[in-house]
Amino acid sequence: MSQEWNIVVCVKQVPDADDVSIDPDTGTLNRSDAEAVLNQPDYNAVESALQLREAVGGTVTAVTMGPPFATAVLQEAVALGADDGVLLTDRAFGGSDTWPTSLALASIAEELDADVVICGEESTDSSTGQVPPGIAAHNDWSQLTYVEELEPNPEENELIAVRDIEGGHEKVAASLPVVVAVGFGLNEPRIAGLHRKIYAETEFEPQEYSASDLGIEESVGLAASPTSVGGMATADPVERKRKLVEDVETLFEELESAGAI
Amino acid sequence: MPGEVDTADYADVWVFIEQHDGEAAKVSWELLAKGRELADEKGERLVALVMGESVTHLAEEAIERGADEVLVAEDPIFEPYLPGPYGEQFRYLVEERHPDVVLIGGSHTGRDFAGRVAVPTYAGLTADCTELDIEPDTGLLLAKRPTFGGDAMATIKCVEHRPQMATVRPGVFDAAEPDPDREGTITEVEVVVDESHQHSRMIERVVGDITDITDANVVVAGGYGTEGDFGPIEDLAAALGGEVAATREAVEEGWIEAARQVGQTGKTVKPDLYIACGISGAIQHLEGMNDSKTIVAINDDPNAPIFDDADYGIVGDLFEVCPALTELIEQKRGETA
Repeated sequence: MSQEWNIVVCVKQVPDADDVSIDPDTGTLNRSDAEAVLNQPDYNAVESALQLREAVGGTVTAVTMGPPFATAVLQEAVALGADDGVLLTDRAFGGSDTWPTSLALASIAEELDADVVICGEESTDSSTGQVPPGIAAHNDWSQLTYVEELEPNPEENELIAVRDIEGGHEKVAASLPVVVAVGFGLNEPRIAGLHRKIYAETEFEPQEYSASDLGIEESVGLAASPTSVGGMATADPVERKRKLVEDVETLFEELESAGAI
Repeated sequence: MPGEVDTADYADVWVFIEQHDGEAAKVSWELLAKGRELADEKGERLVALVMGESVTHLAEEAIERGADEVLVAEDPIFEPYLPGPYGEQFRYLVEERHPDVVLIGGSHTGRDFAGRVAVPTYAGLTADCTELDIEPDTGLLLAKRPTFGGDAMATIKCVEHRPQMATVRPGVFDAAEPDPDREGTITEVEVVVDESHQHSRMIERVVGDITDITDANVVVAGGYGTEGDFGPIEDLAAALGGEVAATREAVEEGWIEAARQVGQTGKTVKPDLYIACGISGAIQHLEGMNDSKTIVAINDDPNAPIFDDADYGIVGDLFEVCPALTELIEQKRGETA
């Protein structure tokens, strides 16, 4: 028996990867000028969520965790077509690694009675890819990661996915509730319509939840994070020869004498 | 929810042996070699973990490749891999036996599975490490991973929780050769999972239809400069016996399949020879190719940043340079054949 699905899509605000530059003087990464944008893979996640809603019926709720200005990425999701947005915002969340982050998202997914939680496969800033399986593990739900194709099977109350694996693919059916991490570039994200855009920017207000609203204030933040950053170092740059050659023959000879071909 | 633990109760380095259809993923043997070093440094044992059906040969090979003990969970429920049963069984073993360090391959399977272990055991998990060390004074695992764009290395520690878990991408460490004279113990462990842990079912699993570019010795990659024509790139790759790869832009344009994308949101390759054709050299792309032994850049823009990250560069049109190079390589092959 089919029924409408509560679809939650997790989005993240990250520094714009295209704006991040290397400081020529210090050799370090310069992120301060980078604009905060919606994590690129999350566009595919939002698009997947909207397509699921079109196929099955139901609602799409965008969720993000962050400071109040992270509302901008919820607006973006709403402009694209999400029905609603939820902001998890609280100083208590500060410093959370993947364990408490996925706990917070798992808690709101439960609170929203989600059938499907969709995420991008990783964020372009920290790129751990560990939050989606973490959400599933916290709630003991099923999970589908590295998804290249996604199809609902509402009659069986499941999602069927083609997952990318090394050297091939696998097709897996997962029972609801399920957490999905969609592969980057799996679909063509739609463009926000003007009407929707205006609504998102002028009328839309996200629902806000604090850690205590979710009853997890003791289990999030820096103190609840199993990992901590023990240091940062500039990566040893790989020394390259940087030899410019004039013609293809010289290139061929160079590669041959270097034993590269 | 588990609280803080007495870290002194935890010892040994564990390596998860990822296997599909009785064949181990290469990254598992690479981790076993690295795990051996870490265990020796800590003065502890190296334990391999194998789950599956009819996997005794893998347990034996794990000993030959450095394990002191192999824990084998043998049951049809572990074939094929599904995150539910694997995660639950591993959780049980961690809680029973208290490993200090757990290493898992950064394959799609390994990364799917790692969170399924780290969450219920409240372990610290560092994803996609490229270096692993032991801190001399504390014996803590120092898990190092490139941060944003690969320009800096972050060292991640897990001080109060156990185990200290890390995933590592394939190709970062070298596997050790098997030594048939090595001795170790094979221990059958209790299987604690049943169908109720499955959550999902495998409909089909097809391997071999897509090339694994992470395993290629030669990679010829195309970017925006190809304008969608990968012909010259394919020819050059074929002449070199290599694989075709691409940048994010080329994948987004729909010119080539996503499985061939190199870079931060794609795959990390480590070939002997990487030829970047019509690729400007965004840091997200460099992160995926920087471990290549020799890098060649072909670009008609003399100011393309890729030239700074290449061993050999040629300023020119890839539609002229690639075919000319292909011809020279084929000529050479003709001569030596």
